[in-house]
Parts: sequence; structure tokens; C-alpha cells
Amino acid sequence: MSVLPLPDMDGAAADEVATEPVPPSRRRGLPQLLRRPGSGLGVAWLVFLVIASFTAPLWRPYEVDEQDLAHRLEGPSGAHWLGTDPNGRDILSRIFTAGAEPLLVSTLTVLVAFGIGIPLALMAAQRGRRTEQVTSRLTEIVMALPSTILLLAVIGVIGIKIYLVMGILGVLISAVVYRIMLGVAQSVRQRLYVDAARVNGLGSLAVNLRHVLPGMATVIAVQAAQLFGIALLIQSGLAFLGFGPAEPQPSWGVMIQTASQHIYDAPWLMVPTGLVLALTVVAVNELADAIAGKVTAERVVPRRRSRVVASSTAAPADPDAVLEVRDLSVAVDGGPQLVTGVSFALRPGRVLGLVGESGCGKTMTARALLGLLPDGVSVSGGSILWQGRELVGLPDSRLNDVRGREIAMISQEPMVALDPMFSVAYQLIQPIRRLRGVGRAEARKIAAELLTSVGIVDAERVLKTYPHQLSGGMAQRVCIALALTGKPKLLIADEPTTALDVTVQAEILSLLRALVRDTGLSVVIVSHDLGVVADICDDVAVMYAGEVVESGSVAAVLDDPAHPYTMALLGANPHVPDGEPVPRRLASIAGTVPPPGSWPTGCRFAARCQFAQEQCTVPFVPFPAHGDGRATGSVRCIRVEELARAHVTWDADDVGAVVLVGADPLEPADETAPTAGVRS
Amino acid sequence: MFAYLARRLALAVLTVLAAVLISFLLVHATPGSPGAIRAGAGGTAAEIARYNSELGWDQPLWRQFLDYLGQLVRLDFGTSLIDSKDIGADLGQRLPVTASIALLATLLSGLVGVLLGVTAAVRGGRFGRFITSSSGVALSLPAFWVGILLVFVLSLQLGWLPATGYTRFTDDPVGWLTSLALPVLTLTVGGAAVIARTAGAGMREALRQEHIRTLRAVGTPEWRIRYLHALRYASVPVVSVLGIQFIALFGGSVIIENLFALPGLGQASQAASSSHDLPALVGVVVIATIVVVVTNLLLELVVAALDPKVRTS
Repeated sequence: MSVLPLPDMDGAAADEVATEPVPPSRRRGLPQLLRRPGSGLGVAWLVFLVIASFTAPLWRPYEVDEQDLAHRLEGPSGAHWLGTDPNGRDILSRIFTAGAEPLLVSTLTVLVAFGIGIPLALMAAQRGRRTEQVTSRLTEIVMALPSTILLLAVIGVIGIKIYLVMGILGVLISAVVYRIMLGVAQSVRQRLYVDAARVNGLGSLAVNLRHVLPGMATVIAVQAAQLFGIALLIQSGLAFLGFGPAEPQPSWGVMIQTASQHIYDAPWLMVPTGLVLALTVVAVNELADAIAGKVTAERVVPRRRSRVVASSTAAPADPDAVLEVRDLSVAVDGGPQLVTGVSFALRPGRVLGLVGESGCGKTMTARALLGLLPDGVSVSGGSILWQGRELVGLPDSRLNDVRGREIAMISQEPMVALDPMFSVAYQLIQPIRRLRGVGRAEARKIAAELLTSVGIVDAERVLKTYPHQLSGGMAQRVCIALALTGKPKLLIADEPTTALDVTVQAEILSLLRALVRDTGLSVVIVSHDLGVVADICDDVAVMYAGEVVESGSVAAVLDDPAHPYTMALLGANPHVPDGEPVPRRLASIAGTVPPPGSWPTGCRFAARCQFAQEQCTVPFVPFPAHGDGRATGSVRCIRVEELARAHVTWDADDVGAVVLVGADPLEPADETAPTAGVRS
Repeated sequence: MFAYLARRLALAVLTVLAAVLISFLLVHATPGSPGAIRAGAGGTAAEIARYNSELGWDQPLWRQFLDYLGQLVRLDFGTSLIDSKDIGADLGQRLPVTASIALLATLLSGLVGVLLGVTAAVRGGRFGRFITSSSGVALSLPAFWVGILLVFVLSLQLGWLPATGYTRFTDDPVGWLTSLALPVLTLTVGGAAVIARTAGAGMREALRQEHIRTLRAVGTPEWRIRYLHALRYASVPVVSVLGIQFIALFGGSVIIENLFALPGLGQASQAASSSHDLPALVGVVVIATIVVVVTNLLLELVVAALDPKVRTS
């Protein structure tokens, strides 16, 4: 995930659609754990089992060796609730008497495993590479030893000393614990506060105890629960093989072994003991899952959307527009709106910028155009007319005709946008063959040509590489080539340069500019960087809290902003430093973007606006913008006329004065540094 | 890549040596001596001393260790203290039984687990959650209990499969398969559950990846996205877990062989353990370690073949 909040809607959306309550934070107390029905029952069973097992001598109806030979191998009855074994002994009494030992012994195994594994991991994480490599190799050897068979060998040598044997199992398992904990310890140690504690002179033991260990608590709890379950199974397995407590002392493994011998004449025998053991392990694992929050993670269900939204079929307002978005709304299914009433139009060969702070719905709007919204999020209203064809409500199968062929997309993080498992050649050739209907050899030639056309010099070599071997800029060029495989007419670029180095950003922007110039491609570019917008866009739509607050030509909007939010964006950023994302500098716009679901009914910017008045809190419709170059633009501010007459400027606290955009962004010269930002 | 493999190979040899050393030391830490075990309960001191001297027990420890290593290199595991049989030959007959159970169970677990896991991830919804939670239960069930339940249902009630016993493949291939069916099914219940969870989580994670959106954006057909790209992405963790499963099932077969009366390594180690047949115990540990180590090496190769990041580094 990126550092920008917006793509996190993936997770947020998934949480919103969850039917069960999703714990708000990672640190959950026991009461919240219990809310999951499975884990609640599991905890209840474990508590019951522990109490019943350790108090069994106090309440058990029969002694464990009390034989009732007249009632052998009987099913449940009033006298023997769980029946009797081949010697006529009461199963209920024996099961719970037998419970204490596996519980204690498994606890011992877990304690030994963690007692060795955790200190070793902490030490390895602290001492650095040399120590880590020695301990890691050693544990690898221990992990490769066949533990069950080794345990049998141990028993063969030392006899059935179950505490010692299970302690040795703990030693063997400690290698696994070390492995897991090392990774966690290393990442916890890299957190800033641990560094700070170290700098402040806290001793290494104190740092480990006070800062590193608590950070590992969740993983330790999950692992402990799972290992406890494994130890239970191994202990009862050993007893099943005859390496358990001696008769008449009861044990689960021996009781199941007995059941297996009476499967012909007394099948009931296998039910109670097996069920108690199985329930216990299930409960422990369920608890581990609950602690790990697995259900939350697995809730993200890739289910294709089938919701069809009715939309208008009115004639396009702009007859020249190739893409016309009208009143587009995007919402979490059964949840809050993420984007509302967004409208804009795009003519062929033009570049439109969607700009705004993070969390304003830019990416959602862009993704809606191709029907590539995250799962659990869908278009809830409005229309997307592509060359006169309505895209909203089209099923995926029909949208697939548009994707790649007519509209293509490049994304924010080129390094993860390519499939790591396939070569660049495969990833290009496959869509080329499908979209252009050519053979393999021809497709390979086209792939090389495409790579050359996006400025890759040694196309043949790049074709043979895998994504992890590419640099960020190179990967973005490959992504652009991939987007061009179907000769699209519209390219949607979602923050195409955000993740890249400054110099590479400039190269990618000039590549996009050249593509627009040479191929007549239309582009919708999402950015939070006004510099990028000024540099490459013809038109701009400024978005705030899920709606377009101002739109029009770049020249008009950036030179003469009419909406206070646009003024604020510009005013707060007289010098956008190279490579510095704009929002970080927005300290002078007090407050933050209100999250979806908490938008006010009137102007959504009012709470942060220097010019807000009481009238701003009532709903209103956006005004068509006035002035040159604003024929298709709009301004969503009820005081727009007033403010324009007064020639107000946004007082940026940090800066003190508004500095206007100087250069003409309509004719950006190739040699100017494209990321220079809004120039003063 | 070659340096990497060489390092892995060195570590594998070290692991086997460690296993030999550990079991060797374990045997020598025993109170009593192999001579006493061989002589049995009624053995006289002279008899015990004679046996011990025959076995080289009176030699210095390092000498005995080197001798034993030398024997192992010639694949000589010594003779049993109990019945004086050749341990190497005995274990050599037993290895195929255990290996075929573990291998068949791993393959079946992989097949069923991947099918279930992928279905859970792709279908999602209530059905997907059902698969996920029921595999959570299945992987917690003790295998020996599952085995008893399966014997009761499939063999006693329905009479489809023999409950116990082993038929050699060379004697009767069909009989071989049916004699292995119940143990393999038993191990598959837990094994498939583990794989289903791994495959499901892997597919879900794969389908959330950014590159999947890239594929959608160029109109890649959904089947291709799921069963070629996402499955390939999920295959690396699945194969790793399959390897771990094989090792776990190999070890876990001790219990299953006991339950189904199969003449495998597990049964041998149980018997050797009960009778304190020390050389046989060491032999089983060494063979099991070699199996684990070889499996791990094969696994490294498969993962390298699957994951370009490993292959090209």
C-alpha cells in the first residue's frame, strides 16, 4: 500500500462491508476476542476444561481405577454419563482426570520453546549479521531433524519420562520459534521509538524488555496457542503409541488406542475422548486465529460486482467530448459515498488533471472509468459516456472489450504493477496477441517496438527481464508500453510519477506529453502535485471530499482560482520543492479532509475555509464558471461572485501571501523542468 | 544460483551429520549398555561384556563415532540388538511403505487442498467462509482419531476398504492401493485442510495485488487472471507448505502405521523405542533425516523454478 490514504480505501471498504463488527485497532482486548462466536466458544471450552481437569479428583463420580465389571463397554447412562471402558471404568471421570497432564506438559513444551527461541531471536536481532547467521544456520539444522522420530528415539533411550521428553520437544520447536520471532524482532527494532529508546541510553536488556517484546506480543500469543495445540496432539499421539502414563493412570492417547481396539464391539468408545481432544485443539487454534485477526484479513472477498445502475441517456453536453462523466457517484456497498456528483468532459488529444489532497476521491473517480473499483466499492449513480457509449452498469465481460483496446490505465506504483512471476516479454506478448490478433513472433516484434517507443533503448534485453530486475522508471515505461498494447484512445494515469525519483518523474512526464502529441491520445491524470498539473494538463478538475469543487482549463483555474480550496492549494504552495508531495505543505489549510460518511450537507470545505459564512452550510448547486477558458468549467462555492468581486486571496499562514502561477502551463516547453512545480 | 545450491547442499550434509551425532550421543548417554539389552534380562556380566566388546562399546567415543560414520557411508546400519537382523535391509524394506503413504497423502492433500482453497478464495461469500472455517477444524483433528472414524465408516459400516494390513505393490498393485487408501485418506484430512488454508490465503492475497489490476486494465479474461496469474503467484507458498506437509506426514506416519498395522519406518521406530534397540533407533533417525533433507533440497529447486526472484538471484 502506498503512503497516501486514498488507496487504503481498499481496506476501509472491505471493513465497511463486513457484516460482523470489525475491531477498530490491532490491539484487542480479551472481551473483543470473545465477540467472534467461534473464539468465544473456544475460550469457554478451554476454561471449562482447565477447571474440570484440575478439580477432577474433587468431583469425579468414580475413582479412575474403580472397575464395574458388570457394566463393561457401555454407552452413556445415568450412572455413567459418558459410558464405561473395557474394564467397566467410568469414562467421564477418566477423561477429565486425564486432562491435567496434557495441559501441563504442553504448557511446558511451549514455555521451553519460547524460553529458548525468544531470547535467541532477540540476541540475534541485536547483535547483527554475524551472530544472526550462526544462530540461523544452527536452527535450520535443528528444524530439519525429524522431531517425532527423534522423540521416539529419546524415549527409547531414557524411557517414558514425559516431562523430559516434552521438554526436549520444546527444544526442537524452539528453532521454529526463533525463526518466526527473529523476523518480528528485526522489524520491531527498526521502529522509530525503539531507536529513540536506544539513543536515550536505555540498556539493551531494558530496550528488549520494554520496547521490543511488547511489540511482538501478538505474534507470540498466536504462536503460543498454535504450538500448544501441536504439543497436545504430539503428547496424546505418544500416549496412543503406548508411550504415555502407565495404567491405571488414564490418558487421552491410551483411551483412544483402547477405543481403536474395540471399534467392532463398542464404537461409542471412540466418541467422548476423541471429541474432547479434538475440541481442545480446535479451540486453541480458533483462539490463535482470533488473536491473529485472521477473519478480518480473509473477509476481502473478490466477488465480481453485478450491480447495474440506471443512468441517463441524454445527448452529450459537449458534442466534441470523447469522454463525458456526469453526476458520477461511487460508494462503498451499503456504506458511505466516496465520490458524489462528479462531472467532467474530455476532448480527444487533451489532458485532464484530477487534483486535490489525498482522500478526496480522485483515484476512485479514475478507477470507476474502467470499472476497476476495489471490491465492495461500486458506482452508485451517474453516467460515464465513452464515445457515446454508457459504461456504467456494463458487465465485466463487456467492459473487457473497452479495457486495453479503448481505455488503458497506468498506476501509481510501477514496481508492483507488473506480475512478478512472468517475464516482461510474456506480459507484453500475451495482450498484444489478444488485442491485436497477431501471432507470437509478430507480437514479440511489436513488443520490442513498443518498448522502444516508450524510450527503452535495449528493448531486447528488457524483454527478457523479470519485473524485480527493473528500476522504478523502467517499470513505469514498461507499464506504459503495456497500456499501449491495445492502441487505446484514452489513458488513465493514476499518480504516474509519485513513486518515482525526481529526474525519472520528469522523463515519464515528457514521455506522456510526447505520446499525447504524437498519437492524439487523451489522458486523465490523477495527481496531488500542482506542478505536474501545470506542466502537462490542458484541463483540470480540483476535487475535495468526493466532489469537484472547481474545473476548467488549466490556465484559467490555476491563474485565477475562483474556489477558496483551489486558492488555498495554490496559495499554500508558492514553491513546491522538487519531488515533494504537495499535501505535506498544506499546513496553512487548517484541519484535514473530512472522511467519507462525515461530509456536511452544505459546502464540504466550509469548516476549513477562511471565507466561510453561515450561508455556506446550506446545500446548493455548482455555478457554471465565468471568464475565458471556462466554457465547460464550474465552481462549487456559493460566495464565488462575492469573492471574485472582492479579489480576495487565501492567507497562507506559513507564507503570508498568495503567489500566482506565473508560467503558461498551456504551452509547456519540453526543456523546462517538468517537476518544477507551480512557479512563482 | 550455483553458490546458493552448494551452500544448501553443505547445510544438508551438516544436518545429516548433526542427526547422526545427536542420536549417537543420545545412545551413549543411556544408562546401561547395548550388550545388556542384547543379552536380555537373564544375561550374565560376562555375556554383556562380550557383547559390548563385539559392538565396540569399549572403544573410545570418538573412535566409535568415526567407525559408525564409516559404516554409514557404506550404507551399513549394523545389526539389531533384539533379533540380530541387518538393520539396513530391514529399514530398506520399510522405507517404501512410509514413503508411499507420505507421498500419496501429500499429493492428494495438494490436489484437494488447492481445489478447496482456490474455490474458497474465488467464490468467496458464505461458501468460501465455510471452507475456511471447516478446514480450520479439520487441521486440528488428531490424525489417529480421524483414522478410527474412517475405519469405522469406510471399512466397518460400508465395507469399502480393508481396515488394516499391507499388500506389496509388486504382489498386487490394486491391493497395494486399497491397503494404503485408509491411511492416506486419514492423513489427507489434516493435510488438505492445511493446504486449503494456504492456497486460499495465497489466492486472496494474489487477487489483491496491484498487478492483477494491471491485467484487468488490459482486458485480460477473468479465467486467465485467476488460474494463470493469481494461481501462479499463490503457488510458491503452497509448494513450500506441501514440502513441510510431506515432512510432517513422514514423521506423523508413526502413529498411522501403528493404527493400520503397516510395516513401515514408523512401526520400526516404535518397536525399536519400546525394546531399546539402539542401533535400529539411530538408523531410523538417520534415514528420516536424510528424507527430510532431500525433500528440503528438492523444495528449494521447485521454488527456484517457480519464483523468478529466486531463480535469477
